[in-house]
Amino acid sequence: MLFNSLDFFIFLPIVFILYWFIFYKKLQIQNFYILAASYIFYGLWDWRFLFLILASTLVDFFIGQAIHNNDAKRKKKMCLWVSIIFNIGLLGFFKYYNFFIDSWGDFLTVFGYELKNTWTLQIILPVGISFYTFQTMSYSLDIYYKRLTPTKNFIAFATFVSFFPQLVAGPIERASNLLSQITTKRVFNYTQCKEGLKLILWGLFKKVAIADSIAPIVDDIFANYSDYPASTLILGVSLFSFQVYGDFSGYSDIAIGTAKLFGIELMSNFKFPTFSRNVAEYWQRWHVSLSTWFRHYVYIPLGGSRVSKLKSVRNIVIIFLVSGFWHGANWTFIVWGAIHALLYIPIFLMGRNRIYMNTVVAENRWLPNIKEVVQIFITFLLVTFSRVFFRSESISDAFGFLKQICSDFTYENYQHPLGYRMIDYFILLAVFVLYEFRIRRDERSPFKFKSQIVRFIVYTMVILGMLLFFDDNIDRSFIYFQF
Amino acid sequence: MKKLILKSILYTFLILITLEGFVRIFHLGKDTPTRFLDEHKVEKWKPNQNGFSVTGNRRQNFSEYHINNSGFNSYREFNPTKEKTEIALVGDSFIEGFHQNYYNSIGKKIEKSIPKIEVYEYGYAGYDFADQLHLIYVYEEQFSLIDHIILGIKFSNDLNRNEYHVVNSRLALESPMNKLLKKSKLLVYAKSIGILDPPQELVYRLINSIKPKTKKKPIDEIEVSRIKEENEKKHLANFENLISKYGYDKQRFTLLLDSRITSDLFLSYLDLNNFNYIDFASSFEASDRPVTLIYDRHWNNHGRELIARLISEYINKKQRL
Repeated sequence: MLFNSLDFFIFLPIVFILYWFIFYKKLQIQNFYILAASYIFYGLWDWRFLFLILASTLVDFFIGQAIHNNDAKRKKKMCLWVSIIFNIGLLGFFKYYNFFIDSWGDFLTVFGYELKNTWTLQIILPVGISFYTFQTMSYSLDIYYKRLTPTKNFIAFATFVSFFPQLVAGPIERASNLLSQITTKRVFNYTQCKEGLKLILWGLFKKVAIADSIAPIVDDIFANYSDYPASTLILGVSLFSFQVYGDFSGYSDIAIGTAKLFGIELMSNFKFPTFSRNVAEYWQRWHVSLSTWFRHYVYIPLGGSRVSKLKSVRNIVIIFLVSGFWHGANWTFIVWGAIHALLYIPIFLMGRNRIYMNTVVAENRWLPNIKEVVQIFITFLLVTFSRVFFRSESISDAFGFLKQICSDFTYENYQHPLGYRMIDYFILLAVFVLYEFRIRRDERSPFKFKSQIVRFIVYTMVILGMLLFFDDNIDRSFIYFQF
Repeated sequence: MKKLILKSILYTFLILITLEGFVRIFHLGKDTPTRFLDEHKVEKWKPNQNGFSVTGNRRQNFSEYHINNSGFNSYREFNPTKEKTEIALVGDSFIEGFHQNYYNSIGKKIEKSIPKIEVYEYGYAGYDFADQLHLIYVYEEQFSLIDHIILGIKFSNDLNRNEYHVVNSRLALESPMNKLLKKSKLLVYAKSIGILDPPQELVYRLINSIKPKTKKKPIDEIEVSRIKEENEKKHLANFENLISKYGYDKQRFTLLLDSRITSDLFLSYLDLNNFNYIDFASSFEASDRPVTLIYDRHWNNHGRELIARLISEYINKKQRL
């Protein structure tokens, strides 16, 4: 069930009303109800994969207790490894099996052997597997590192794993944040619900008006890159930057907003990465729940930055490569991760990776200064360049795309594949960027205006924008569902 | 909770009102003229209506229409006489041309290339061959004065009936409920951009889930070609029935067709029986520019130019003879 589908807009009000009118009395009932709703939400896509979620839930629920109850460090470690192997095993089979087989086949070909195609399998990737396996793993890891006491309430834990607003594409929650809220009775909060509805509206705008409307342009340019000059290819990859941002941050906003309706606060996932002043800041603002996951559970256990510079660089390379690989079973994502490692390392070595940690661009001003504009522009260019690999179907396509930019460095007016006016999209993106700049201080309040009339006008404009750019004929699923 | 529900309803209502205003001010939604059944049981537009036809979310195609006294979209009134030379274009939405300004129609283009000629456009969305011949039959007095009658025909669509009867489903669009709904420009706009398709599909899905399911047998290629052949024969029989029932003057009547989507059976029938026809397939195929609109499959200005040119050449040739 997609957040931008009619099914969801029927499902959500029903679940919401029943939750606050009938199932609100006891915590256990609240949780059981949310769990049932989450399983229905997921089961409507493919009920068979509910068993995977259930298996992952059962394994980590009991392993969490085993880690906690065992005094011997060796046994604790063994339990943790069972959790890691189980979850990574699930991921490995469903997401990476064919990739490893294909890569192994390619490797053997170098030595003159040929692997028969029968080794690969027709496997459907269960939606959200990369998200919920990481979430359950974090639970076991937190217990192992004594940051968390395991819950004895299975329903609460199952609800934590399968909470429908963030089940299929995050934010990847930590038990310390989400489970603690699930084990506390929720009471109706008008302000929280109101904020939730606003976030849902803003998320829908980003998805429908921004991401979906430019998707046909990006698809056309990437599919036919060899026919286009550099100007069009640069346009295509730049628009892809906006598409992927609108798509994923839109999803996250809807997820956070929906969770708010049920009295749950999820962590922020996007903090206006478009206005990052360097790549390090970009990673503090883009897909925050994943980057903090890797920092907590991979980077810091490896020693983080408390080890020698060389080892720290090694750690950075590792987390970026793993992060790339997490996104998909394709060498393109690994190269994408490697490019980000290369962009991040110089900033780290210069000690500038944390300088923008708690500030926003044009902190106490209306407009950014020239230096900031240049920084934002350069960061956008670098990140956009890396997205050639993120978007291309294969490594050879990505290099072909870049080669075409260099070899046909000319300008040509681009025609929309369906013949629409391109100027409409440029105006839309310009307004979007300016508006996001206006609200850049608080990603959870997209409509922060004192005047009620201004707020009302903005709501109407946002809905009008969605109508103006709604496209009936495109695939409306979210990009990150494939990860 | 009550406050949230009440405020949500209030905001939704106010936003809908404001959006209705926006759609009206910027004319984002199309106007739809009123249709009616005349004394001869011919479905047409109510005379003397003006409005704008809009296509696309952002007014990508915007054109004005004018329904004349005869109930068709045209810049001129239809007054055929023995003295003048007139051409009638009879057909469906392609001839009706709501997607073009009424003062720049195919008829106008033909008049520009052939001086001292009047072109009457009897186009109405959904008209098939039965509608067309029935129209000519009941308005015989008027049509007998017209020198050349061009009938637009799509073999696969326009020959499903062997006699004329009123299409009630189209007239149902004029039901009091539909009329009321059409008053909301926002609703018309939302429907035209496809935003109302999912709720409609949901209703169909629900209805289908209640209905008892009948297993459809898979059809092989031989069966498909057999069905196709049968349909072609049926369409040809319908054509023969219609022309014998309502009359067909081979001297004055000419078919306008696209041979790319017309069956060989029908084309050879026309050749064998000396029916005149204008085939625009090669002209469209040879065009280096698109001939249809971006937003739908109707002819664009260039496509209409080509059609007008072909008709003009045909009429000139006929007049020379």
